[in-house]
Amino acid sequence: MNATLARPLTLWLLALPVIIAVLGLALQGLAAVNASVFFAWSYFLEVLFAGLLQGVMYALVALGFVLIFKASGIFNFAQGSLVLFAALTMVGFIEMGLHWTLAFVVTAGVMVLLAVVVERVVLRPLVNQPHIILFMATIGIFYFLDGFGQTLWGSDVKVLDIGIPKQPLFVLQGVFEGGILVNAFDLVAALVGAVLVIGLAVFFHYTRIGRALRAVADDHQAALSVGIPLKTIWAIVWSVAGIVALVAGIMWGSKAGVQFSLALIALKALPVLILGGFTSIPGAIIGGLIIGAGEQVAEVFIGPLFGGAIQDWFAYMLALVFLLFRPQGLFGEKIIERV
Amino acid sequence: MEPAMEPATAALEAESQETPAPKRLGETLLSVDDISLSFGGVNALSNISFEIREHEILAIIGPNGAGKSSMLNVINGFYQPQKGRVSFKGTTFRRMRPHVAAKMGIARTFQNIALFKGMSTLDNLMTGRLLKMKRNFLWQALYYGPAQKEEVAHREAVERIIDFLEIQAIRKTPVGRLPYGLQKRVELGRALAMEPDLLLLDEPMAGMNVEEKEDMCRFILDVNDEFGTTIALIEHDMGVVMDISDRVVVLDYGRKLADGSPDEVRGNPDVIDAYLGVSH
Repeated sequence: MNATLARPLTLWLLALPVIIAVLGLALQGLAAVNASVFFAWSYFLEVLFAGLLQGVMYALVALGFVLIFKASGIFNFAQGSLVLFAALTMVGFIEMGLHWTLAFVVTAGVMVLLAVVVERVVLRPLVNQPHIILFMATIGIFYFLDGFGQTLWGSDVKVLDIGIPKQPLFVLQGVFEGGILVNAFDLVAALVGAVLVIGLAVFFHYTRIGRALRAVADDHQAALSVGIPLKTIWAIVWSVAGIVALVAGIMWGSKAGVQFSLALIALKALPVLILGGFTSIPGAIIGGLIIGAGEQVAEVFIGPLFGGAIQDWFAYMLALVFLLFRPQGLFGEKIIERV
Repeated sequence: MEPAMEPATAALEAESQETPAPKRLGETLLSVDDISLSFGGVNALSNISFEIREHEILAIIGPNGAGKSSMLNVINGFYQPQKGRVSFKGTTFRRMRPHVAAKMGIARTFQNIALFKGMSTLDNLMTGRLLKMKRNFLWQALYYGPAQKEEVAHREAVERIIDFLEIQAIRKTPVGRLPYGLQKRVELGRALAMEPDLLLLDEPMAGMNVEEKEDMCRFILDVNDEFGTTIALIEHDMGVVMDISDRVVVLDYGRKLADGSPDEVRGNPDVIDAYLGVSH
C-alpha cells in the first residue's frame, strides 16, 4: 500500500488504544471528583463504540466532499443534496418493484449521468474561474437537486429497507457484566465504510489518477497544458462522489428514513473535514471517528457538567480549535503561501 | 527608446562576424493559416499566417497587446479562433484542443507561471509524464508490478531533466516556496518532461536578472541543440531574441508586421516604427 496512506493509518491504529485508555482514566478521575458524572468502564466503552460507529456514518458523507475537493479545490456544497437525491432515486426504483441490488445499479447509473450533466452544464463553462465561483455554482446545484429530486419522487418521508439487521447485540459478555450493547446496523455501516475506503484508496493511490487529480485541483490551465483531460477527470470524480453519496444515502436513509433532512447531514460532515483535512481520504475516516466518538463521550460524561445537550455543538467546537492550531487538518496538504 | 536598442545591436553585429554552422532545419512542423481571433469587438489576431520548421527557434515579438500570447493560446488550443486553421505534423485542425495538442507533442510554459504550487518540483515534472504513462487506470490496479516498473522508468527520465536544468537541490521542495527564477525553470522542466516536438515558451525570461537570463538562454539553446526540439518563444528582451532565434515573427495590433531572419526584421522600417514610434 502507498506509504503516505499507510503510515498515518497504522500510527493512528497503534495510538488508538492508548488514547482510549487515557480518555477513560481522565473521565474516571472526573467522576471521582464530581458526583454528577457517572463512570463505569463497560458503559464508557459502550458509549465510545456507539460514537465511533456513528462517526463512520459521518465519514461516509465526508468522503464525497474530499473527492471533489481533491479534484477541483472546491467545497461541494451540493454533496448533501447528492446524498438526498441518490436515496430518493433508489427508493423510487425500489417502489417501482426493482430488487434493491438492481435499484442500486440503476441509481448508480443515474448518478454517473448526473455527474456528466453537471460537468457539461455547470463546470465546463466555469473552467479557470476562481474556486469561489465554482463554490457558488455548487450552491446552485444544491437547490436544483433538492427541488428536482422532490419533484420527481415526491416530498414524503420514505422508508428505505434493504434488509440490514437492526437488532441490538451484546458483545464482550465475558469481560463485563451484561456485556456491551452494540447496534448491528452500525456494524454493517462500519463494514460498508471500510469497503468503500479501501476501494477508493486503491482507485486513487494505485492508479495515476491521483497525481492528475492533484494537478487539476492546483491549476486548471497548467493541467490542461500537460494534457490532463480536465473534463474527463471532473466527470469521473463527480461520478465517484455521486456513488459515494448513494452509499451514504442508503445507510443514512435506512437508519433515519429518506427525507429532506438527509441533505443537512452535510453540515455534520463539515467538522469532520476540518479535522481530517479536506484533501485526505483516510483523514475523512479518522476525522469522522474522532467527531463521532468525541461528541458521544462528551455528551454522556462531560455534558452533565454543563447541564447536558452539548452533542449539537461539541463537534463544531472541536473543529474551531483545529482551525486555530492546524488549519490544514490532521492529514491535509500543507498550506503554502508566499508573501 | 532608441539608445536602448543600440547596445544589443552592437553586440549582435560583433557576433555575426563569426559565421555559425548552418542549422539542420527540417520540414514544416507547424503552420498557422489565416488565423483571426476576436474577443467581443476586439480583434486580438487578424489573418495571421506563418509556419515553424523542425529544429527551428522562432521568436514572436511585438509590443504589449500585439497578440503574442493569444497566438500561443491558439496553437495549443486554449483559444478557438473564429477563422483559420492550425496544422501540426501534417494534420490540420479547425479547432485544436489542449489535451490533443499535448498528446501530439506540443508543450508550453506560461507568462504568469502556471505550476502546481502545492507539489514538489519532482511531482510537477512527473505530471509532465502523465500522458506517456499507460492510460488505463484499472489495468494498472491489476498489474501493480509492471505499473511500478513504468513509474521507475518515468522517474529516471525526470531525473535526467532535473540534472539537465541543474535543479537537483530543489527536487523535493514545494514549488510554491521557490523564488521566481527557479519556478520559471521548473516550468520549463515540466514542459521538457513531456518530450515535446514543439515547445512554446511565453516570456521565459520575464522578470529575471542577467545571470538567470543567461542560464535560461543556455537551456533553450541546449534543448534545441541536443534534443532537436522546435521552439517558439515570446520575448521582450531584444538582445536575447536576436541572439538565440533563427527567425522572428513580428506582431502588432494583431497583425503580422514582418517575418524573417533577425537581421531582416531589425532592418524592417515597419518594425522600427512599431517599436520605436515613427520618428521622421
